[in-house]
Amino acid sequence: MTTAPALDLARCESCHTRFLPADGPCPKCGSTHCVPYSSSGVGKVLASTELLYPAAGWSAPHRLVLVELADAVRVLAIVEGSLPAAGAVVEVHRDGDVYRARPEPSA
Amino acid sequence: MTVHVASVGMGRFGKRSEGLIALATEAANLALEGVGRKPIDLLVVGTMFSSGPYGREAILPRLAGVLGLESASGFRVDSSSGTGGMAFHAAALALETGGFDRALVIGAEKMTDRSTAENTKDLSASLHMSEVAAGATMPGLAAIVASRYLQRHHLTSHVCDVSTVHARAMAAANPNAHFQKAVTLEEAATSRPVALPLRLLHCSAMSDGATAVVLEKGKGPATVLGLGQGFDALRIVDREDLTSFAATRVAARRAYEAAHLTRKEVNVIELHDAFSPFSMITLEDLGVCGPGEALGWFEKGWVGLNGRLPVNPSGGVVGRGHPVAASGLAEIAEVALQLRGEAGAHSIGNRPKVGLAQTISGIGSHNFVTLLGREGA
Repeated sequence: MTTAPALDLARCESCHTRFLPADGPCPKCGSTHCVPYSSSGVGKVLASTELLYPAAGWSAPHRLVLVELADAVRVLAIVEGSLPAAGAVVEVHRDGDVYRARPEPSA
Repeated sequence: MTVHVASVGMGRFGKRSEGLIALATEAANLALEGVGRKPIDLLVVGTMFSSGPYGREAILPRLAGVLGLESASGFRVDSSSGTGGMAFHAAALALETGGFDRALVIGAEKMTDRSTAENTKDLSASLHMSEVAAGATMPGLAAIVASRYLQRHHLTSHVCDVSTVHARAMAAANPNAHFQKAVTLEEAATSRPVALPLRLLHCSAMSDGATAVVLEKGKGPATVLGLGQGFDALRIVDREDLTSFAATRVAARRAYEAAHLTRKEVNVIELHDAFSPFSMITLEDLGVCGPGEALGWFEKGWVGLNGRLPVNPSGGVVGRGHPVAASGLAEIAEVALQLRGEAGAHSIGNRPKVGLAQTISGIGSHNFVTLLGREGA
C-alpha cells in the first residue's frame, strides 16, 4: 500500500472553518489567524463533469470532480483519465494553482 | 411598497442586427409609450459586459441623450446574470425611499457578434478565479451542481430534458422569445454535450436583447409587494449544499416576509433557469415542493399555462434566450404582463393575483426574488 502524499490545509482560529489553499485568509470570515495542518488528500467524489468547452488554456475533454476530504473540506479538482463515479475514493494533490485528483492507489 | 410597474417594453430576444444602444432604446421607447411619455426622473440601466464596441462604457449618458432623459438622475448596475433583477430592486427602493417619482429601468446585452470563447471568458468573471483557473466555466460549474442534485435525489439527466421541453414549449408561444420551436425529450437528450450531464439544449443561449419597465410611485395592477435578495459563497466548494441555492432561499424568505405572503398565494412564477435543472432546484428553493420533488410537478403538467402553478410562461431563460443583463428584468416584466393581462398568447389560464420572479447571479452567488401583485385583487 502506497502512502498518500500530504495535502496542506488550514484551520481558522476564529470561526474554526477548515479550508484550502492553506496560504490564504479564511474564506468564511476573512481571518488571517489560521493554523496549517496536513491531510492525506484522500476523499470521496460528490459530483463530476466533463467539459467539452473548458476555460481558456485547457483542452477538451476537461474533467472536473468535486471532492469531499476528511473534515468536510471540499475541493474542485482536475481528473486525468476516466471520470470517477460519484462516491468513488480519490486522492487529491496540489499542482501549482490547481488541484488534481487520481484514483486512490489502494482503491 | 407603494411602487408599481406602470408599463413594460420588450423587443425580440435572439440574434439581432442592432447594437446595444439600439436594442436598449427599442425596449425603452416601448415602455415610455406605455405611460404616454410621462416625465422620468430616474434612469437605471443594467449591462454586464464592460468593454466593447457598443459604447458600454458610457451607456448611461448615451441612453439619457437618445431618450431625452438628460434631466433625470441615473445609475448603472451590474450583477452578471442577475443584473436585471438588481436594476429593478435598486429603482424600486429609490422610488420608495428617495425623492423620485417615476423610473425607467433597462436591462440590455449584445452577445451574438462575439465569439463563444469571448463570451465564456467574460461570463466567467462572475465566478471565483480559483475555479476558473481549474478550467471551470459557467456551464462547467452548473454541471457540477446538476451532477450533485441528480446524485443526491437518485435522478437522471431526464430531469434536464423535461425542464428543457417545458421551456421550449412555453417559448414557442412567446413572439419575443429567442427560440420559437418546441423540442422533444429525445432532441434534448441527444443534443451536443457541453458539460455533462448538461447538453446544448439544457443550456441557455447567448442572445441579444433588452427589456425595459417604467416604475411609478403608487399602486396599480402590478404593484411591488415584496423584494428580497441573498448571497452565497462565490466559491462553490465553500457552500454547505449544492443541491439548493441558499441565496434563493434567503431572498424568497425576505420577499415573502416583506409582502406578508406565503408561496401558496403565488399564482405564477418566472424563474432563472440559466441551465435547465436550475428550474427544478429553484422551484424547491421557493418552497413549492420538497427537495427532489420538482420533477413530478413538471411531469404532471402542474407548471403549464393551465396548471396549478404556471412556471416560466415566457419560456424562461432556456427558451426566451439569455442576453445576460436583460434576463432578470425580463423575468419581472413577464410577471407584470401576466398580472396586467397583457401577456397575449402566453397568458396563463387564470389571470394571476400574485406573481413571483426569481433571478440568479452567476452560479447562485447573489439572487433576487420579486413579488408583484394586483392591487385590490
